[in-house]
Amino acid sequence: MSETARHQDNEEPIARIGLRLAAWYAVVFVGTSLAIVLLTYRLLAASLEERDQQLVTSTLREYSQRYAEGGLRSLADAVEIEQRSGRRERMFVRVVRGPSETLFLSAPYAWNDFDVSRLRGLGGLEEILSESGTARLEVASARLADGTLLQVGKSSENREVLLARYRTVLAIISLVIVAVALAGGAIVTRSTLQPIRQLITAVRGIVRTGRIDARVPVREERDAIDELSALFNEMLDRITTLIRGMEHALDNVAHDLRTPMTRLRGVAERALQSNDAQAHREALVTSLEESERILAMLDTLMDISEAETGTMRLDVTAVPLAPLVGEVVELYENIAEDKRISVSSDVSAELTIPADSKRLRQVLANLIDNAIKYTPPGGRVEVRARRDGSVVRLDVADSGVGIAPRDLPHIWERLYRGDQSRNERGLGLGLSLVRAIVVAHGGTVDVSAEPGRGATFTVKLPADSKGPSITRV
Amino acid sequence: MVEDDATIADFVSKGLAEAGHAVDVASDGERGVELALKGDYDAAIVDVMLPRLDGLTLIDRLRARGVQTPVLILSARRTVDDRVKGLQAGGDDYLTKPFAFAELLARLQALIRRSTGQTEPTRLSLGNLSLDLLSRRAERDGKPIDLRPREYGLLEYLLRNQGRVLTKTMILSHVWGYNFDPGTNVVDVLVSRLREKIDRDFEPKLLHTVRGVGYVLKAS
Repeated sequence: MSETARHQDNEEPIARIGLRLAAWYAVVFVGTSLAIVLLTYRLLAASLEERDQQLVTSTLREYSQRYAEGGLRSLADAVEIEQRSGRRERMFVRVVRGPSETLFLSAPYAWNDFDVSRLRGLGGLEEILSESGTARLEVASARLADGTLLQVGKSSENREVLLARYRTVLAIISLVIVAVALAGGAIVTRSTLQPIRQLITAVRGIVRTGRIDARVPVREERDAIDELSALFNEMLDRITTLIRGMEHALDNVAHDLRTPMTRLRGVAERALQSNDAQAHREALVTSLEESERILAMLDTLMDISEAETGTMRLDVTAVPLAPLVGEVVELYENIAEDKRISVSSDVSAELTIPADSKRLRQVLANLIDNAIKYTPPGGRVEVRARRDGSVVRLDVADSGVGIAPRDLPHIWERLYRGDQSRNERGLGLGLSLVRAIVVAHGGTVDVSAEPGRGATFTVKLPADSKGPSITRV
Repeated sequence: MVEDDATIADFVSKGLAEAGHAVDVASDGERGVELALKGDYDAAIVDVMLPRLDGLTLIDRLRARGVQTPVLILSARRTVDDRVKGLQAGGDDYLTKPFAFAELLARLQALIRRSTGQTEPTRLSLGNLSLDLLSRRAERDGKPIDLRPREYGLLEYLLRNQGRVLTKTMILSHVWGYNFDPGTNVVDVLVSRLREKIDRDFEPKLLHTVRGVGYVLKAS
């Protein structure tokens, strides 16, 4: 993938987030504002309509009064005067007798638009639409004492003009609202995404240059982005530690393998210089044995490195301790018998421990193997396990040669061999492996020993499963 | 055998030829598929890391074409990945490099035995040494031999593989189920105890040490 393509790939998601944020902001803002605008419009329209209707009914009441008092003549005069003087808004007034005989009609010229013959004249308010459809005539009727019908009406034209003007104003306001919403959305989005953009730039810089010692700047806002930055830095720290650990481990493995490889080479070279067939056979056998040792060593070194760098995969289950101890003790039964060493174990039957059973077996095997190795014939090896507060304490004690004080600090080191151990077969890796595995399980291992008075190795492992850290670095 | 390392391919095919097997060698995955589709083989040995087509894909292809030849997988990885485990569940086997030739031969022959469906014997014997698998009793020259459980396990394993060299690692993992080096040589000790019981008072000696490699049970 080319650099620019990758750049776009990284740029696009944040632009998409930005667009989504801005869109949401605008939609919510515009939606609420328009709802308010619409509501005020409806309220205004309703109150204008109500006012008109009140005017119609009150005028109708007034004119029927006048008709009752002074007849058609008086009504006509009143209408004439009021319309002329402009004291009252222009209205439609009609007096009808029988089905269709109009006795009196007063209506503004412009109102010829309305087809008043369609009025039926009964009950409440009637409405007729103008021919052009732009206005309505709202008419109230009243049956007078002499049987004639008085009709008073008003056109909605004025009201419509007013509302139309109001609509124009609202439209302008709405446009302003939308503009404000878009601008606001953009600003909010920018200010929210700015730190994320910075974080991305910083992280991309680190990824591109491969400089894992660089760190992302953490602002002092204490918000989610800061937390993310801090976490990212923490992750980098861990990665750095892990890589250093692995480099270290690799160096060690390379170093530790050089000695046995040199031995192997030496054997082969010596054999080449000799002409004796028997010597050649011997050399080949030695080479095979040596290569077995190198393989065993490589496996053990890898185990130690994995455990130490925290990359060892632990398959943790609740391991019943008594059968496990029994099994390992049985493995060394014959050897112990040959050396006349009594191996006893004292583990309560119900004791279980969260651990990787294969690894734990390896720990025990190494400790028991060690104990038998350094105990003279007729001696004792004891394996004890019991719960001690929040830990399970596992002791492997022997009545052997013990450990010299000057060796004591070094016994956990890889390939360290004390004076006593030089005569014994082994890789010098057993105790390092024991410690690495125990530490990977979140436990500790210790030794108390005196020369000539035996040694006791004590392993303490967490008794409760808190998920032993497998990513410990 | 599909293996790109010429030296390994050479020593394995020579060894197998000596053991009475005919071997064809392919040096990459594609050629491996061709060979396996053409011939009717008793078993295949397939390296995982191969040029052009990796070993596991090769096996998938063969299985997809209905080739049921049992496969012994060779891997240079110390930890066995899940796909290989899956294949193992399907009847195949795997071996990690470096391996002892004796172990490769033993596993290969076990694979062939399994796939040809040989019936399980109830009694194993070599010369005048015999082991009854039902009553779990051993005897030599008509005299009963008293065996402890691990000794019995070792003798059964040796008898089933008579004539073949078994390495210490094989014995350790077969008799105890351990796959790590327990330091002191528990295998040597067990072997010498068994030898004491089955060979000391009898002739000919059956349990031999092959120096640098392991042990073999055979008449001569």
